[in-house]
Parts: sequence; C-alpha cells; structure tokens
Amino acid sequence: MIQFQNVSKIYEGDVQAINNVSFNVDNGEVVILIGPSGCGKTTLLRMVNQLESITDGEIRLHGNNVKELNKIEMRRNIGYVIQSNGLFPNMTIEKNVMIVPDLLGWDRKKQRDRFHYLMELIGLHPDDYRTRYPHELSGGQQQRIGVARALAADPPVMLMDEPFGALDPIIRNRLQEEFLQIQREVKKTILFVSHDIDEAVKMGDKITLLRKGEVMQFDRPTEILNHPKNAFVSEFVGQDRVLKSMSLYSIKDLSQAISLKQKVESNDTKTIKEDTSLRIAISILLNQEADQIIVLDDAGNNLGSLTLDLIEQFLHKEVKRTEIK
Amino acid sequence: MSKQKRIAIIVKAFFWILVLAFFYWVVTNNMFSRIIEDPNKFFTLLTQHITIVIVSSFIAVLTSIPLGILLTRPKFRRGEWLVVNIANLGQTIPSLAVLALAMGVLGIGMKAAIVALYVYSLLPILQNTIAGIDSVDSKTKDAARGMGLTPKQILWRVELPNAAFSIIAGVRTALVINIGTAALAYLIGGGGLGVWIFTGIQLFDNTYLMSGAIPVTLLAILVDLGCRVLQFLLVPKGLRLAREAIKS
Repeated sequence: MIQFQNVSKIYEGDVQAINNVSFNVDNGEVVILIGPSGCGKTTLLRMVNQLESITDGEIRLHGNNVKELNKIEMRRNIGYVIQSNGLFPNMTIEKNVMIVPDLLGWDRKKQRDRFHYLMELIGLHPDDYRTRYPHELSGGQQQRIGVARALAADPPVMLMDEPFGALDPIIRNRLQEEFLQIQREVKKTILFVSHDIDEAVKMGDKITLLRKGEVMQFDRPTEILNHPKNAFVSEFVGQDRVLKSMSLYSIKDLSQAISLKQKVESNDTKTIKEDTSLRIAISILLNQEADQIIVLDDAGNNLGSLTLDLIEQFLHKEVKRTEIK
Repeated sequence: MSKQKRIAIIVKAFFWILVLAFFYWVVTNNMFSRIIEDPNKFFTLLTQHITIVIVSSFIAVLTSIPLGILLTRPKFRRGEWLVVNIANLGQTIPSLAVLALAMGVLGIGMKAAIVALYVYSLLPILQNTIAGIDSVDSKTKDAARGMGLTPKQILWRVELPNAAFSIIAGVRTALVINIGTAALAYLIGGGGLGVWIFTGIQLFDNTYLMSGAIPVTLLAILVDLGCRVLQFLLVPKGLRLAREAIKS
C-alpha cells in the first residue's frame, strides 16, 4: 500500500511542483496518475522511490515513511518501468531481466526458473530470447521485457511511468490487454503514470487527475467520467466522457440494475455474451440497425434482449444513483 | 556486394600494391642495411622507443580514465570544463614544444621524453572516457537507479561496459600518436628510433632513414591492430552487434 499524505515538492527558486497531494493506492490496486504535461505526475511517481526528494508531507510504503527507508533496498523492492524501457544494451535479455535478483544474490537455478516463468507470463519464448540483446527486439518486445524485469524479484509494489507511451496504438492496445491479464494473476499494487485518458479508464481501478501539482479528482473511472468534480476534470476527460464510461459497464451490470426485456424468439437476431461491455453492445446495436440483441450467459442460455432504450435508462439511473451519494 | 564495398576493396588493393612495391624497392636497394649490420643497436633503439611509448601511455591511462570517471560524477561535474581545458592546452602546444618544455624542466634524457608524451596523451583518453560515459542513455541510467543499483554498480555494470568502445578508441589514438611523436625524443636525448631517422636526415642517408622510419610505421600499425583486438575482446558482445547492425 502506498499512502500520500499532504505531499508537496518545491524546487529551488520556489517552483511548486506538487501541492498538498493526498491519496492512497490500496493493495492489489492500480491507480493511474494522469494530467496534462507539466502537472507533476512523473515527479510524484519518482518521489515514491526517492528519485525525487519530498519537500513536505509523507509518502508511506506499507506504513513506512519512504524518507526513512534505505533507498537502495527500498528500490529493489519496487518494480520500476519507464517509457523508453531503459534496458541495458550491454546485457543479454536474461541478464537484463534478472538484474535485481542478481543484485539480491539469487542462485543460478532460482534465476533461471524465474526467468522462464516471467517470459512465459509476458508471452515470449524463454529460450528464443535468453541470449539475445535488446537492440535485436522490436519496441513492443522491449517494453514487455521492461515489464518482466520490473516483476523479476516479485516486488509487491510497482511504479510504471508511461510504460506503453512510446508504442504504436495497435501494439499499445495489445500490451495493455496483456498487462491487465498479468495483473489479474500477480495482483500488484501499482502506481501508473499516463497522459491518455482512454488508457487510464481502461487500466485503472482508480484515477488521480492532477493539474499544476494539485489533485483535481481522485476516484473510480466511472465516477470521474460520469461525475467530474469541476470544469477542468470535465474538459480533461472529454465531451464524449459518457461514451467512454460505457466501456466500463458490462451488460451484466445493466441486467443487475434494471431487468432485460422479455426474450424474443427469433433466429435472425444477433446474440451477445453478458460480459460484453456496453460500448460494444451499443456499437452493435447502432451498426446492425436492429432494435435488439439477444443476451446469452456463459452457458449459452438466453437471458433476454437488450435495446438502446434500456442502455439509456441504465445510464440515467447510474448517473442519478451516484449523484445522490 | 554494394558499389561502395567494391570501391573500398579496389582502393585497399591499390594501397597494398603500393606498399609491397615500396618494400620491394627498400629491400632491393639494401635500405635495411643498418638493421642487418648492427642488430644490437637496432634492438636498443627499438626498446627505448617502445619503453617511452608504453610507460607514458600507461601512466596516461592510469590518470585519464579515473579522472574521466571522476569528472562524470555529478559532484565533480563542474570541474570538467577546467580539467578538459588544461588537458587541451597540453594537446594544443606543438609536440616539439612540449618536448622542449619538458627538457627545460627535467633536463636531457628519456625521462623528459616520457613526461612530454604523457602530457600529450592525456587529452584523447580523457575526452573519450568522458564522451563514452556521457553517451550512455540517461534513461538507462535512470532505470538502473530506480531499480536499486548503487552508484558503484551503475558505473561497473552499465556505464563502463557501454563506454568501453569509446575509451579503448581513446587509448588507441593516444598510443598511435605517441609512437610517431616518440621519434622526436632523439631531439632531447631520449633515444628511440628517432636517432636513426634524424641521422638519416642530417646525412642524407636513406639506409639510416628507412631503418628507423619503417619500424616506427610498422609499430604504429601493429599497435593499432592490437587495440582493435582489445576492443573486440573488451566491448560487450551486445554493443558490438548493435554497432554492426547500425552500419549495415
């Protein structure tokens, strides 16, 4: 768990980089730090592993003030991924991935096993890459290796500074999906810097939106999208924020909040799984020029049908519910 | 084969034919007679020459590489400007003047020659050490720091391996320059193959001239080759491959 308690940073010459920031990253949670460039998101991230100093306030890592921890030891217990992967060009892929375990004095056998496990996890064949060098790999592969390296010593906490920022959209999307899958398995506590609201909405359990070093809103993605606290948040997430929020709800969420329409027996109607996101459902409804689609559960049972009207109702309800709260 | 490669091969072949023709001329005209008639003297001069080069370069390596490492540490960064400029001064002054100055202070002899060449080879090694370490991607160093490598580990595991190519190139430059400049040591009584070269010049005697000049040339070529081998052995494989990949 990472706790930010009234954290501030003032650079020489009285430049306030971070101003009284407080929020928590709970265990097993991904919190996205986002904001326009120059908002201090990277600085704040780097303050956690003490690459940047803290002027005021406290950052606590598993309850300990990071200022009081041994920097070197602490950093070895935090996975660190940066945008340009930062792989060591003089070392093989295996040496790169195993750098922290090596510093920690793991024996050869343990390192090998771990390397195998990590490479399988990121979907690269261990023996194909063991003796290769970073320059021989594509950008996407290098970034995967960067993630594997950060996971090497199995740190409970990870800091990721725009890890997929330099990749083209298709590869970025694939790596995001893969990463979410890995996260489901490893359940790390992650602070993740991004400048892309779509990425933030997709990857984050919570989002911290920063502006000029101040927290504008710290909330779940749906809340940020449906209930922006102020004009800045609203503008930052974009006018299509309601549409963006659609990708965060599944048909299951809808059917639990309001019931689906009675099932209609018809063969030519399109069917859809209940764990599909509303964004895709809406797209199908618009694209098909059909009034309804049949919703199926995992076993293939017909649960009822979905219409644009229902989605509209659901959204109204969802927005209201949260407004009352 | 690309056009460029073909041209390169033709130029090289032409060069080697010229060299062989030159050697043929030298040998048939008995230009190496000095070496054959007085091998003991030759080996004395050669040993002197090599000693001057090796000792001066060795001390320069021992000074410049640590100094370069020190100057690339954040604490001492501000000193870089001053030190590089001082070393630059040593290089800017003509080699003959450096020798003269060394003689002025240390008197006649090999010691003065060694000191002069030492001063002369500081800069290339120092500059290449600094440039090599500076060329290591700051993001790479940042990643290393963020993962908990100590400054010492960053130096040995990241900075020096990645700077090795540049550092050895600096040593090579210094050595090759020194072999040539050591021929001037004769002028301040430092011995070396320059003795025969200058005798040849003064006497208009080609046998002296060639018996001195050709071994010096061969020595320079040999040392250059040796440094390339060293580069091959010391520069991490990944960097060598990356370099080749960029070239092709």
